This record gives sequence, C-alpha cells and structure tokens, in this order.
Amino acid sequence: MSRRSGWLAGHWLTVASPAVLLIGWELAAATGLLREAFFPRPSTVLAHLRRLIADGTLLAHALPTLGRIAWAFALAAVLGIAFGLAMGLWRRLRESLDPVFAVVYPIPSILFLPLVSFLVPRGETALIVTTAVTSFFLIAFTTTEGVRQIDPLVVEAARHYGARGRRLFTAVLLPGALPFIFTGLRLGLGFALIVVVAVEIVNATYGLGALLWLSWQVLKVEDMYATFVVIAALGAVLSYGLAALRARLLPWAQDVAER
Amino acid sequence: MALAVPLGLLALWELLARLAVLSPRYFPPPTRVGAVLVDSFAEGDLGGETLVTLTRLGSAFVLAAVPAVPLGLLMGMVKPVRAVVDPYIAVLFPVPKIALLPFLMILLGVGEAAFVLTGAISAFFQITISTLAGVQTMDPRLLDVGRNYGARGARLFGKVILPAALPAIFTGLRLGLGLALVAIVAVEFIAAKSGLGHLVYRHWQTLSIPQMYGAFVLVGALGLLLTRGLRALQARTLTWQEEPGRL
Repeated sequence: MSRRSGWLAGHWLTVASPAVLLIGWELAAATGLLREAFFPRPSTVLAHLRRLIADGTLLAHALPTLGRIAWAFALAAVLGIAFGLAMGLWRRLRESLDPVFAVVYPIPSILFLPLVSFLVPRGETALIVTTAVTSFFLIAFTTTEGVRQIDPLVVEAARHYGARGRRLFTAVLLPGALPFIFTGLRLGLGFALIVVVAVEIVNATYGLGALLWLSWQVLKVEDMYATFVVIAALGAVLSYGLAALRARLLPWAQDVAER
Repeated sequence: MALAVPLGLLALWELLARLAVLSPRYFPPPTRVGAVLVDSFAEGDLGGETLVTLTRLGSAFVLAAVPAVPLGLLMGMVKPVRAVVDPYIAVLFPVPKIALLPFLMILLGVGEAAFVLTGAISAFFQITISTLAGVQTMDPRLLDVGRNYGARGARLFGKVILPAALPAIFTGLRLGLGLALVAIVAVEFIAAKSGLGHLVYRHWQTLSIPQMYGAFVLVGALGLLLTRGLRALQARTLTWQEEPGRL
C-alpha cells in the first residue's frame, strides 16, 4: 500500500465530511431546499470568486490587508520581543510594567482606533498601529515567560564559562526563550488578522474587511461568501504556515500555546 | 508599590494635559474623565449600557460553552467524531469571527441574535479546542489505572477523564470568555446601537472625548475583572493543577 492511500484510509472521514457538506449544500440550493439568496451554491460562489480575481477587485482589496498585517506584525514583533526580553531580564521593570499591561491588554484592540487616530496623523498609520496593539501584548507576555522559564542553572553555567553581555544574550537567553517567542508570534499574527478585518470594516475603503462589509451593505451575497473564503484561506495559511515554519526551525520544542 | 508606575503615568498625563502640552481636547486629564464617568453613572445611562454589554457577553458565553465542552470531550474520546468535526474546526478557528457578522445579520436580521451569536462562535472554537486538548494530553497511565481498578463507561468518565481534562476546560472557558468580550465589543462598535463598544464609537463620532474615555476605561475594567477574576477562581478551585497560564 502506498503512503498516500494509507493516509487516506486513516483519514477518509476527515475528507468525506466537508465533501458531503459541500455536495449536499449544492444539491439543496439547486433544488430550492436552501434559499439561494442566503445560501448561494458553492459553485456559484466559486464563479464569483473567479470573477473577483479576474477583474482585479480581489487583488485591490487583498494587497492593502496583507500590507497592514505585515506592518502591524513587524511593529508588534520588534517592540514585543524587545519589551519581553527586557521584562524577563529585569525584575524591577517587569514588576512596574505588569499592572499597566494587565489593565491595557484585555481591552479589545478595536477600541484603540479612536485613541490612535488622535495620536497619529494619517489614516493608514492609525489602522496599522491599532492592529498591532493586542499582538504586541501577546508577544511581550510570551517572550517574558520565555526568558523566565530558562533554567537558572544553564545561565549560571554559561556565566562560569565566561559568557557575558552580548554572548550570554545570543548564545543562551535568546535560544532559550525562542520557543516561547515563536508561540507569541503565532498568536500575535492570528490576532493581527482578527483586528485588521474589524478595523477595515469600520474605517477603510480598501481591504478584505471593507470588501466584505461593502458586499453586505449592497447585499451582494455571493461576493460576501467569496470574500469570506479568501479571509478564511488567509487565516489558514498564516496559522498553519507559521506552525510548519516552527516545526522546521525549532524541531526540539513543542508549542506552548494551549495552556 | 505595584501601583506606583500606573499612578505615575496617570499623574504625568494629568500634568501634561493641564499644561496643554497634550491637547486637552483629545487627551483630557484623567480627573476630568473620572468626573464625567461618575456623572454618567449618576444619570444612569452608563450603568444601562454596561448591563447591555454584560447581558450579551453572558448569553454568548453560555451559548458557546454548553455545546463546546461536550463536543470537545466527545471528540477526545470518540475518534470518528473527531475525524468528522476536525476539518471544520481547522478551517474556521483561525478565521476572524467578526467576518461572520454579515452572514448572521442576513440570516437573523440586524439584531441581538446576530450580535450575540458572533460572540458565541468566537468563544465556541476556543473552548472546544481547549477541551479536546485536555482529553488528548491526559496521562494515559491514568486511564490504565482507572481501567485496572474496574472503572468503565460513566464511572471512568466521571472519575478519571473529566477531572483530568478539567484544568484545560477551565482554561478554554477563560480564554473563550475573553474572545467573546473582544467580539461583542467589536460588534457593538461596528453594528449595534447600544452597549459599551457602541458608546466608544458614538462619542468618538460626536467628539465627546471625555465620555469616550469613560466608556473605554469601563471596558478595560470589565476585561481586567473577568481575566483576573477567572484566573483567581481557577487557581482556587482546581488546586491540583499547575499554575494557570498567563494568556
């Protein structure tokens, strides 16, 4: 038996279940059992998706979204890792920032949009900074934990062998904290996608969130579904792509997320 | 001591706003926000809006937890169930749930049902996944020991599997509640005409800035209360568990 058919034998239900749903949906909509106005057939949605791709609409909305996610993620990652490492290393700093973070972190990011738009001049910058807020906290938290969970014996041993400053940092602390940092990055990227869609719904002309909202407002239901499929695909690519990257880069460490 | 830095920051803000280094129009001094907050509570509308948000949050949480915990347990214990449900969870979990709002509004109309359900779906996936992880990561030796002592079916479930999965379930409920709050507030900000999220939006649009900060502070307090409160509850009731995670 080849490897592929072996996999299929073990996972046929996992493949069959969505297939049955999609075929059933198609048939139910075709026979009028489901109202096509609300539940357009999967084949119709696919056709609309094709059209959105062909006439460039999708690209015009997807590119701004990707750009915002990239900028927000970079901003959150750089600041989050820097704060996280500093807070992990210096107890005083951690203890003084902890209460501030504890209060600000649970506030849903979308509410920062008004505040941020008072602070920064351009609309686009406000969208990006708002998108970065919650990701920043997630990355800072996990990085702090990552530094704190390093076995003090390891640090002690490194010191005895003469590692100080930069060397201690790059040879011991950073690799030790890396699995945690990576978990933070994964969670942060997921959150950036959540927030960017919400922010685009509120305050953008272009972007997948804006396209979704616009399609709903003019009741182009098929376009709504098509946009949703794209957003879902983006979510899957970001989340499973990063998981695969992690397995490749950090094969020794498990994900520490589901705690 | 722990409060020194936050209080210091507030004092600095107060000073900068009073000296008009920060524009007092957009960054009103904290004492002003506090006074407005007290006033709007006295007039009663702020308490009402808070109650609206809390009701939505509570309904969403219950709607999510009641099916999610059994589903997660079932997926952990019965392989075919897991095989059938897995692809949907894998595809839908990373999707921003706010993107479901337009669909729910088309199906259910623009109203409470659509708002609450968006929040419920946000929490549902998290709770299901955490519960499943709780069953899957339990020490298999516990199962063996239980079976060796003759526990089967309901007894095995009640005495071994459920207690072993409980910490993960609680973590799922805690994270789920947080996600539901995020979704509900976003829905209020975007589509609803009531609730704390809408209040922030409305005061932003009408530039009644101190009121906007007031609602903002209230959401923060709510979030803090929920996250800290549940973590304390978790540490207290599930004493056999290691320190609950931070996220």
